[in-house]
Amino acid sequence: MTVQEIRSRFPILDRRVWGKPLVYLDNAATAQRPLAVLEKERALALDANANIHRAVHRLAVDATEEYEKTRDAVRDFLSAGSREEIVFTSGTTMSINLVASCFGEAFVGEGDEIIVSVAEHHSNIVPWQLLCSRKKAVLKVLEIDEFGVLQADSLEKLISQRTKIIAISHISNVLGLVNPVQEIVRMAHAHGIPVLVDGAQGSVHEKVDVRELDCDFYAFSGHKVYGPTGTGVLYGKKKWLEAMPPYMGGGEMIETVSFSGTSYAPVPGKFEAGTQNFNAVPALQEALALAQVFKTDPEVIENQKNITEYLLDALTNNPRIHLYGVPRGTVQKVPLFSFSVEGAHQEDLALILDKMGIAARSGQMCAEPLMDRFCVTGMLRVSFAPYNTMEEAEYFVSSLNKAISMLV
Amino acid sequence: MTLAEKKQQVVEEFSMYDEWLDKYEYLIELGKALDAYPEEEKTEEKLIKGCQSRVWLDGETKDGKLYFRADSDAIITKGIISLLISVYSGRTPEEIAADDFGFVNEIGLRENLSPTRANGLVSMIETIKKMAQDAVSKAPAVLTAEDVAALQPLYADVILALKQVYDPEIPVNIYDLGLIYELNIDKDRKVSILMTFTAPNCPMADEVMHEVEESVKRVPGVTGCTIELTFEPVWDRSMLSEEARVELGMDYEEDDYGKLS
Repeated sequence: MTVQEIRSRFPILDRRVWGKPLVYLDNAATAQRPLAVLEKERALALDANANIHRAVHRLAVDATEEYEKTRDAVRDFLSAGSREEIVFTSGTTMSINLVASCFGEAFVGEGDEIIVSVAEHHSNIVPWQLLCSRKKAVLKVLEIDEFGVLQADSLEKLISQRTKIIAISHISNVLGLVNPVQEIVRMAHAHGIPVLVDGAQGSVHEKVDVRELDCDFYAFSGHKVYGPTGTGVLYGKKKWLEAMPPYMGGGEMIETVSFSGTSYAPVPGKFEAGTQNFNAVPALQEALALAQVFKTDPEVIENQKNITEYLLDALTNNPRIHLYGVPRGTVQKVPLFSFSVEGAHQEDLALILDKMGIAARSGQMCAEPLMDRFCVTGMLRVSFAPYNTMEEAEYFVSSLNKAISMLV
Repeated sequence: MTLAEKKQQVVEEFSMYDEWLDKYEYLIELGKALDAYPEEEKTEEKLIKGCQSRVWLDGETKDGKLYFRADSDAIITKGIISLLISVYSGRTPEEIAADDFGFVNEIGLRENLSPTRANGLVSMIETIKKMAQDAVSKAPAVLTAEDVAALQPLYADVILALKQVYDPEIPVNIYDLGLIYELNIDKDRKVSILMTFTAPNCPMADEVMHEVEESVKRVPGVTGCTIELTFEPVWDRSMLSEEARVELGMDYEEDDYGKLS
């Protein structure tokens, strides 16, 4: 699929900002949605708007079918063993909170330990901190080296008898480096410890096969894989999901309700309380299909690889620029670059780039511990999607240089 | 330059740039030129919340005027705060507190900045306003010796104006009659008067007070007039001025003269 073919599916890319063509490089925050996704959502709202799983009337049946078809699509997207292992959530944050809350309730007690990495975004830190304060458990942190590469080797030293779960991102939203999650899972499982993989970025850039990965949980957001906002997925191995108590109580997650006791619906229904996002979720089918093409199409892969190489080169050969997350050895980098510029504040750069039509992200990227790790108050980040062209990458680099010359 | 003139000047300067990048260049220059802010004063207390970049802002009152100092680690933010300082620093707290900061919208700063930055801008404005309001409530109009000297001619004019208003029943003006208990003119040339009447049930009180207000307001230079009525202490003839006594032919016979009403 050529980049022009891809672009034609994303109408927003035609718009101009401040009189300049839009160059959208904030894909790690949210990706743009193709027309097919938008139309699917609209079609459901217009044609099959009914609450799912309950009523017997035609609209409800149509809506339920679309919703449940999506569960199959997600199962295929993740190569999961069964559809029961797919829980719909509002996004990665909710998925991780669900595990921290329910797995934590069942399996974490006083003095137990949880391991995360220093490169996690807040969504994979704070839920565990909340759990730790609730249960008087301890949060331990896996470090990275000065290039941003995860020190997976030192995981062995962090693991103890009390370690109950390890939560690690597939790809850091700041560093853009692919973590050796399979190796981490192997190490953890050797000690009988389950692993949650935060796939917010990993689901976008990497082929995910949860059976091959053998992770116990995998969380991702719909809006980062070209799907609707407010949709998300938690994959969980059935044995864990069944052993965990429900997250929220409400409609649809129950089997029978009485004041002498309530029994819960089988998984995944147990974790889907209340009215679900039934107009948006089915649009994930279109989104995931496209995301899958992006991850397998040789032309797309080639284009992304070229852009990554070009930017790596541009951002590591300017002595003023400090790039965080530099690949070494076998570590792979996705087209996501966070950096700082000596003498120029990231916010000034982002503001000037904006007026040149470029959407870049400035700030802490929801990863304050990582900012502290590198002793910076924030960074500038550009993240590319398959609809970004090499010309846009080049325009970004020349615009960045112009912005720098304005500021220093 | 008055506040209004200064704001107009900024708006005009900004409008010379068509392109936003040029406006940024201008802000960057302003930011670079901003007076140094001591490192040791970059405290948490002076830090403004709501900015993606860090902004420290400090203000102090000198001779009744507020002076600001500020810094930021981002240069465009620093330019914006420099712009605000150039407009508001050295003005009276009253003037700043009463301002609507509308010129910020006029130069398009608010809508052309990202919401996170605009939040920072809003926070900066709020901080400046808050400092001004605090200064107003803390130190109500301290007059310097120069201020007092400058206000002298105005006092004379206001007294002259008060002397144009006559008591409805006694052929003596209210000033010489001793009905004016207090006369104050503040730095903004607003007049405040505390007055009484010869009797609490004076049927003409409202008309007389209105006449006083109108007469004072007509004095060139006066920006406003407020009148407060009191019957504490109760007026008596000892309050008559020398001129009034002569006028009434009562200098030497005051003991025989009954209470005026």
